[in-house]
Amino acid sequence: MRRILNYLLVRILLTIPMLFVLLTLVFVVLRVMPGDPVSAMLGGHAPEYVIDQKKAELGLNKPVFAQYVDYLGQLARGDLGRSMILQESVSTPIKERLPATIELTLCGLIVTLALGIPLGVRAARRRRTGQDFGIRLYANVVYCIPVFWMGLMLQMIFGVFLNLFPIAGRIGARVISSDFDRTGFYLIDTLLKGDIASFWDVLYHLILPAFTLGITLSGVFVRLTRANMLDVLKSDYVLASRARGVPERKVVYVHALRNALIPIVTMLGLQFSALLAGAILTETTFSWPGMGRLLLERIYLRDYPTIQGVIIVYALFVSLVSLIIDIVYAIIDPRVQL
Amino acid sequence: MNRRMGLIVLAAALLFAGAAWGQSVLVYGTTDKVTDMDPASAYDQHTWDIFQNIDKGLLSYEPGTDKVVPGLAQSYTVNKDGTEYTFKLRSGLKFTDGTPFTADTVKWSIDRVMALKGDPSWLVTQFVKEVQVVDPLTVKFVLTGPTPYFPTIVAGNPPYFPLSPNIYPVNKIVHDPTELVGGALVGLGPYKVTSFKRDEEVVLDANPGYYGKAPGVKRIIIRYFADATTMRLALEKGEIDLAYKSLNPSDISDLSKNAKLNTYKLAGPFIRYLCFECSQSVFQNKVLRQAIGALINRPEINQKVYLGQNLPLYSMVPVGMIYHSDDFKTTLGDGNVKLAEKLLASAGYSKDKPLTFDLWYTPSHYGDTEVNLGDVLKTELEKTPFVKVTVKSAEWATYKQQFHNKQMAAYLLGWYPDYVDPDDYTAAFAQTDGSAGEGIYFSSKTWDDLFVKEEQSLVPSVRAQVFKQIQKMWTDEAMTVPIFQGNLYIITRKNVTGVKIGPPLIFNYDELRFTK
Repeated sequence: MRRILNYLLVRILLTIPMLFVLLTLVFVVLRVMPGDPVSAMLGGHAPEYVIDQKKAELGLNKPVFAQYVDYLGQLARGDLGRSMILQESVSTPIKERLPATIELTLCGLIVTLALGIPLGVRAARRRRTGQDFGIRLYANVVYCIPVFWMGLMLQMIFGVFLNLFPIAGRIGARVISSDFDRTGFYLIDTLLKGDIASFWDVLYHLILPAFTLGITLSGVFVRLTRANMLDVLKSDYVLASRARGVPERKVVYVHALRNALIPIVTMLGLQFSALLAGAILTETTFSWPGMGRLLLERIYLRDYPTIQGVIIVYALFVSLVSLIIDIVYAIIDPRVQL
Repeated sequence: MNRRMGLIVLAAALLFAGAAWGQSVLVYGTTDKVTDMDPASAYDQHTWDIFQNIDKGLLSYEPGTDKVVPGLAQSYTVNKDGTEYTFKLRSGLKFTDGTPFTADTVKWSIDRVMALKGDPSWLVTQFVKEVQVVDPLTVKFVLTGPTPYFPTIVAGNPPYFPLSPNIYPVNKIVHDPTELVGGALVGLGPYKVTSFKRDEEVVLDANPGYYGKAPGVKRIIIRYFADATTMRLALEKGEIDLAYKSLNPSDISDLSKNAKLNTYKLAGPFIRYLCFECSQSVFQNKVLRQAIGALINRPEINQKVYLGQNLPLYSMVPVGMIYHSDDFKTTLGDGNVKLAEKLLASAGYSKDKPLTFDLWYTPSHYGDTEVNLGDVLKTELEKTPFVKVTVKSAEWATYKQQFHNKQMAAYLLGWYPDYVDPDDYTAAFAQTDGSAGEGIYFSSKTWDDLFVKEEQSLVPSVRAQVFKQIQKMWTDEAMTVPIFQGNLYIITRKNVTGVKIGPPLIFNYDELRFTK
């Protein structure tokens, strides 16, 4: 137990330099980019003195290094700063948007695993058959498809032509979210409110965006699961299990899959950041009010503090997931030393 | 049998109730965004639309027209020299939080806008010197000078709308309704805001205390879309009842053929034009500006880029507005290669020594068609070998910085009016201060004097003569070249009526109705 706690502490401490490097990079890149937030926010009537006044108000007239030191000081106090455009605390839109992104990403992850792992196992079991070929083809194709194109296609086919699913938003156009919104996780909020109709509506709206994200990333997991299963199915203990008459299903799904899962779990951590990156595009395609859309909108407006805040939160989130994955990894593989 | 009948009656009642509910809620989709929920700071069309519907001005516009009618004031009088406007307020009105509406609230609201110096505050400070309370129901605006179009400014601009002093902070701009006392927006208009989630939903419910006639639809839900294509699909699927701002031309073209939908085309006061940096770029020479103006072929642009959905424009003053005249058509024409070559030759350019410049557009402010507009303009300008154009783009934030810094010689911009008067379409580009704000940097005492003359004149014939002169002179200076006037398209489901948007660009939600 103590070993686990020490490990957690070391990992958390390692996150600090990682964040420091990341935010420095983001800070520098934003200042190097052409365009400034004051020009973006003021209308054409703004005279020069108003622009200068606004820059002074926002601290943009200081040397970049001084701005950087101010920013670090602010962060050390746990303050992400104030939006230059809306003059609100950066944490306000992040708090509003983060649950939407997490809900979408987790549902996308579920779809990825629900498709990737069973298909990978199936392909390994039916190696060099038509099924194997078909599944591998699927994996390659979905891996190559850009996520926004996948989103548009699913929208067109299932939303417009077949009229099966909604194509935009988190809830039905006639459902008012403030009626149940508490945590921002609408699936949970609707259940807490006991509003089953809205729960189904939220789930219904999640289907296309979650499948867009999930299908795109499932290709990696199909190939990885197949490759690992092929190795594991050749191992001695699988042969021994079969020789002892253990049912094939149990051999594959209990003994072999558990061992094949170890590298898949590692990959899960790595792919999580890809899932978040995919969410940025998926959110735009499906008008999903999450962090991805927030980031994109604020990049256009050069709202430096919000962009920096969103990226820090993304980085923290990825670090957290990667930490959880490491712990899970240790649990499923006792050979791993924390 | 009785039980069966009872069930049938119950089912019918439920169906009827469902239908009735469906008819009382209208879902309106847009790709616009709300900015600060404070009339002292908001300066964009959509947020102003919301304020126009949850609050009112002392004067108002008759829906769908530019006729000024009484609003929160029953009447007004103006002194002889046009520098003092006295408004008699309606009695017994209360904000939705219960605060009484009086002359004090009017003064408090205007003083607040002036003190906070938000982006639209110039609309007040440029015209109003001070506001005086004459009695609880009479308020006087003392102006900085004679302003014949002051009633249109009061009627159309939210910075002039009264606010409840019990809800809005006096010394701070409100960005989100949660910052208000009580956490909700209040006003005197036909609707009140009952739910506000930025970029997701705004719910407006009919205000039972509104002094005018009750809105035709009890609840309006505004849904925010990330892109026009998704909004179009939502409309086709029936998820929304109305789509406004902004659909792509191809979407408008397709949807207008859909029998289940109504397409409303409204003459909009939105204009697009090409700007030239006149102080240090190659376009310091007005002959070159004239040549480029002559090469632009407006009907071709309208057809190729906008599928014929807009209106070619030959003056900075839009069609339909007083004093408009098509001077660019008569002087420079459309795609007039001969004239352009003659002008370019006189400035020393030829086939072997073409005029070379970058033409800039921004892909992140005027919609997806902007890239096509840039390409079509390049093709038109290069119809003569005397011109070589490189099309370049920059995101809006960069774009604005670049034109302020004189880094772009020729660039595309657009204009939504602040008030419905030719002054707003001309002084903003050709008066020394306004011109610098748009990155044009044109300055001329003759022009500045003309603007002062029309701004201070109370005699319509004098203003008509000045604007006639200004529009004529514009074709000579050509510091901007008008290209087209945008039509507005609102597409609704077949059962939605009452779409009325007049030249002041005010969308009265309370006029919307469902038909059976």
